[in-house]
Amino acid sequence: MSNQGIEKIAGESIAVAAARATPPRLAYRARGLSDRAIAWIFIAPTIVLLLAINIFPLIWTVYLSFTNFRANQPGRPVQWIGTRNYERLLGSEDIWGYLQATAHFVCWTMIIQVLLGLGLALLINKNFKGNGFWTTVILIPMMLSPAVVGVFWTYLYQPQTGIFSYIVNIFANVGPLDMIGSVDLAPWSIIIVDTWMWTPYIMLLCLAGLRSIPDYLYEAAEVDRANSWQKFWYITLPRVLPFLMLAVLFRGIENFKMFDMVVELTSGGPGSITELASINLKREAFEKWRTGYSSAFAVILFVTVFGLGNIYVKALNKVKQ
Amino acid sequence: MSSGKTVAHSVVDPTPAGRRFAALLVVLYALIAMVPLVWILLTGFKSPPDSISYPPKVVFQPTLEGYVNLFTTRSRQTDEYIESLGPPTTWYDDLVRSRNMVITGPSRFADRYMNSIIIGFGSTFLAVLLGTLAAYGFSRFKVPLKDDLLFFILSTRMMPPIAVAIPIYLMYRTLGLSDTALGMILLYTAVNVSLAVWLLKGFIDEIPMEYEEAAVVDGYSRLQAFWKVVLPQARAGIAATAIFCLIFAWNEYAFALLLTSGEAQTAPPFIPIIIGEGGLDWPAVAAGTTLFLLPIVVFTVLLRRQLLRGITFGAVRK
Repeated sequence: MSNQGIEKIAGESIAVAAARATPPRLAYRARGLSDRAIAWIFIAPTIVLLLAINIFPLIWTVYLSFTNFRANQPGRPVQWIGTRNYERLLGSEDIWGYLQATAHFVCWTMIIQVLLGLGLALLINKNFKGNGFWTTVILIPMMLSPAVVGVFWTYLYQPQTGIFSYIVNIFANVGPLDMIGSVDLAPWSIIIVDTWMWTPYIMLLCLAGLRSIPDYLYEAAEVDRANSWQKFWYITLPRVLPFLMLAVLFRGIENFKMFDMVVELTSGGPGSITELASINLKREAFEKWRTGYSSAFAVILFVTVFGLGNIYVKALNKVKQ
Repeated sequence: MSSGKTVAHSVVDPTPAGRRFAALLVVLYALIAMVPLVWILLTGFKSPPDSISYPPKVVFQPTLEGYVNLFTTRSRQTDEYIESLGPPTTWYDDLVRSRNMVITGPSRFADRYMNSIIIGFGSTFLAVLLGTLAAYGFSRFKVPLKDDLLFFILSTRMMPPIAVAIPIYLMYRTLGLSDTALGMILLYTAVNVSLAVWLLKGFIDEIPMEYEEAAVVDGYSRLQAFWKVVLPQARAGIAATAIFCLIFAWNEYAFALLLTSGEAQTAPPFIPIIIGEGGLDWPAVAAGTTLFLLPIVVFTVLLRRQLLRGITFGAVRK
């Protein structure tokens, strides 16, 4: 925020002082369009765009989920088949497999990233020389394109020639590591890349939490002869927790929807061991062209995300206060 | 991420040894986290054999072969044919011929990169324009159901892209928008406008109302006050918001993959295809990756003080 600009404008307008002296209601009576009209003219385009490109398609998805429509056969008559798509979905064992893979991915990424992110934030909060620079360096991975990150990690993960396997073998002589091709390692290959990318996110929010703790709390604890573990447990953690939860909720939702990085890295394989919900959805919708069925799956995913999102916004408002 | 001036206090300040230890661990993490990016940067300057050598080569003869391969299509030719062409006219001709190949034309990478720029800037401009107007409306006026509308705007961002991709695919097919830059610009605008509204509302909320009120007393209309008083003060916030929108549009992959193929394809769905075009041409992939990621690294450094705000939709502002 440029203070100079503010001062300049304040200086130009002789009426600043006058405005302070004037009751607000009087100051509000401006020429031209009414406030109400302006508010609607300003807000309407955004709402219209979102209705057209988000809400309308969503309603269409819900409609399609009750039909047997196939997008690759537009000529075929569309039949209303009631809840049959949903029944088939919930009865299918494969779906639970995809949801399980998703849950495994979400849980482990969150656990590892919370530990690493909180730890890093605590260290950075010690305010050593140059911590601003190193914090910026640490933040870089999370701004990159997840799909492109997935592409270049396939190179790093090459079992014979990749640098990942090479570095691991410096510390433990395990031979070539086929991170993407092996059934045991593939789920961890995506967890490692996600952790590399998104630990900075958790760290950044924890850091904001840590910096919001007033010094006097620690000083008071010192007077009470609290040890450092007690200080962490009774002062630091409760104050950081809302921020941490916000971060986990947001990343949890994003990872529940995870598509791009994993598609490029493992494309769901080997077999369907890393086939997360969104990847399966894409396969059903755009490879098998089972539009109705995949729409039902999309609706189920959306309802889940929307429920989580609701909690997220409530948490946002809490942190704001 | 200011380097934080601590209020010096003996009780709260960490000990010098503790500080050094913290610095050591953080720097160690940062260096490890940079290894993949540095490795990709280096691989872009390796020859294809060097890129798949074992053990991995840290010291190598740098070459621009990866970049040449990224921007060209080539075909393998016999020695006689290459000799019949006469001496190479450019350094990249020379480089390609040393591999028994001849350049047959430009690759599509430059087009894809250009598409990314056009769609990125187009959608950013629209999202910031709509977002600024809506944010001002929400910030300054009594709007019925304000909180519900704001929640609605945010909730559109929560949707899994693939879930709405099916009807958007059908809709765009009907409207003739599939695989057009305009279609992608509208789509990314719709996704980004929620972020823009929430971020900008935060920035505009921070501008004291007194300035506008003063301007109104001076005889400005509401719109003039918005234009001449609010916008100039929101400049920094608008710039930060624009960069966030640009980064999102730049990085987006799912919609680009499903809705574009020939004309309007952006770089993210194209970069993995480079692998297929010339066998396992990792230097070319690395070169494309480097050129694609470099602007984002620059923007991240520029934005570092606003990052927290951007990634939490303006909720956390320190």
